Amino acid sequence: MSRTLVVRLSATLLALGCAWIAYTQAPPQQGKQQAKQANNKLNKITDDLYEIEGDGGNVAVYITNEGVIVVDDKFEYDFNDIMAKIKSVTAQPVKYVLNTHHHGDHTGSNAQFPAATEIISTANARKNMIDGKQPGAPRVVFTDETDVFLGGKQVQMRYFGRGHTNGDAMVYFPALKIIHTGDLMAGASPLIDYSGGGSLKEWAATLDGAMKLDFDKVIPGHGPIAKKADMLTYRNNVEKLRTEITGMIRQNKSRDEIAKVVQDKYGWAPTGLQFQRGFDGMLAELKR
Amino acid sequence: MSRTLLVRLSAVAIALGCAWIAYTQAPPPQGKQQAKQANNTISKVADDLYAIIGDGGNSTVYVTNEGVILVDDKFEYDGQDIVDKVKSVTNQPIKYVLNTHLHGDHTGSNERFLPTAEIIAHKNARDNMVKNKAPGVMRVVFTDETDIFLGGKEVRMKYYGRSHTNGDAVIYFPALKILASGDMGANNGPNVDFANGGSMKDWAATLDQVLKLDFDTVIPGHGPVSKRQYLVDYRNVAAGIPTTVTSMVRQGKSKDDIAKVFTTNGGLWANPNVVNKLDQIMAELKN
Repeated sequence: MSRTLVVRLSATLLALGCAWIAYTQAPPQQGKQQAKQANNKLNKITDDLYEIEGDGGNVAVYITNEGVIVVDDKFEYDFNDIMAKIKSVTAQPVKYVLNTHHHGDHTGSNAQFPAATEIISTANARKNMIDGKQPGAPRVVFTDETDVFLGGKQVQMRYFGRGHTNGDAMVYFPALKIIHTGDLMAGASPLIDYSGGGSLKEWAATLDGAMKLDFDKVIPGHGPIAKKADMLTYRNNVEKLRTEITGMIRQNKSRDEIAKVVQDKYGWAPTGLQFQRGFDGMLAELKR
Repeated sequence: MSRTLLVRLSAVAIALGCAWIAYTQAPPPQGKQQAKQANNTISKVADDLYAIIGDGGNSTVYVTNEGVILVDDKFEYDGQDIVDKVKSVTNQPIKYVLNTHLHGDHTGSNERFLPTAEIIAHKNARDNMVKNKAPGVMRVVFTDETDIFLGGKEVRMKYYGRSHTNGDAVIYFPALKILASGDMGANNGPNVDFANGGSMKDWAATLDQVLKLDFDTVIPGHGPVSKRQYLVDYRNVAAGIPTTVTSMVRQGKSKDDIAKVFTTNGGLWANPNVVNKLDQIMAELKN
């Protein structure tokens, strides 16, 4: 090898190395703009299904020998961490990203996936993303059911009706008897996003539809992995909330009296999302 | 440039050239195995929408600035011709292939497009392809409706019920008021594929749903680009066939009597795909 070539190659390598260090080690921006650090954990559920929990909504990772199917993708700043976590368990590329609904803690990394990755969600979830000027709106949507077949495996994406929003899909892994519920099951008490078309009245019926599927394990939108019986408990809590608040409205209880009940009995902190996004909408819906 | 390098580069160029000639000029295999030649024409239906008509089912080409959405892909031997025809109107790659149903004259080039495009069909169409061991089975299916958004344009794929098979989708281009009907409106029918879940009984009701869409132009599964009225007339024949068969059977008329009436009516009624399937049509309507 000539000396000139060696010098040139070394220079190129050095430049690439510096660029890589600059890229990966970039200090977070100062002040308000400081980039958030991803903080997630990868859990193995079966040989070919993993869950990434931590920031934002729970992510499911289904591995096939023709690529990976991912359910939800957390916040924008979680993208690199999600990809690194997937790489730690498979060399397969992410072929599909299935969004359970439009919220940014479930769709935040959409825009960073390459064009070759197909992102799929419900028609209403896409519409909500467009209305909210969110980045990374999916190109493919469905209204009732869409199935993805990859590497001999099947994933079923279903819309059962309104609940958390008007566009929540559940993602069912029939071979594993596992379902990812999105935020139709998340936390202890429902967050009804009325601005996103949510409905307390219809929520229980939506869960009833999902419970007709044959599954044992549940990956909720947020929180630890649960069982089918936990979904029934959640469903009954949703119905209890609806019945109790409907009763109070019929008895002409004041807004403050009802607010106190949801705070004390259902854990809706006045500053929390459940109260801020759901309370007045719930009163309006249940009055009808 | 050094002389050695020049010689080596030339050798590589010649080798590549020879390989290319061998690849593109290979004579068709002899005898029965002779490859069929594609024979299609592309015609403009709207500024950004074209129909490829000739072999097999009609293909529709919707051009966007983020890629092409293709409806149906004819036979296996038409794949390259479809690509060439698309290339003659746009440099955009084919990103989506939407199959109206399972048959090989509409899905024959799927295998070719699978690695680079998303192919979508109705769930029953895929089930039938798997059952029939057809090549080019798609990865993505839907049951009721799926929409594709590409380059600021929208395509709606809808399932309304049984007709030609149990998995026929229509493809609707809302901005253009154009509908690709697949074989639930095609000049070689109404042709019920009973083995793949088709139904003469349900056909007209399925078209009634389709006709609720707002469209002016129909690209049928087979035959020339037509107006909405084509599908209205088609619906009326699809409704008339079961009504006529049922009432004639009640009057004790034979299959031959019915066939005579159909032949006299002419047009779609007299299509061999209808007359030759009278046994099966009568069997379905008995239930």
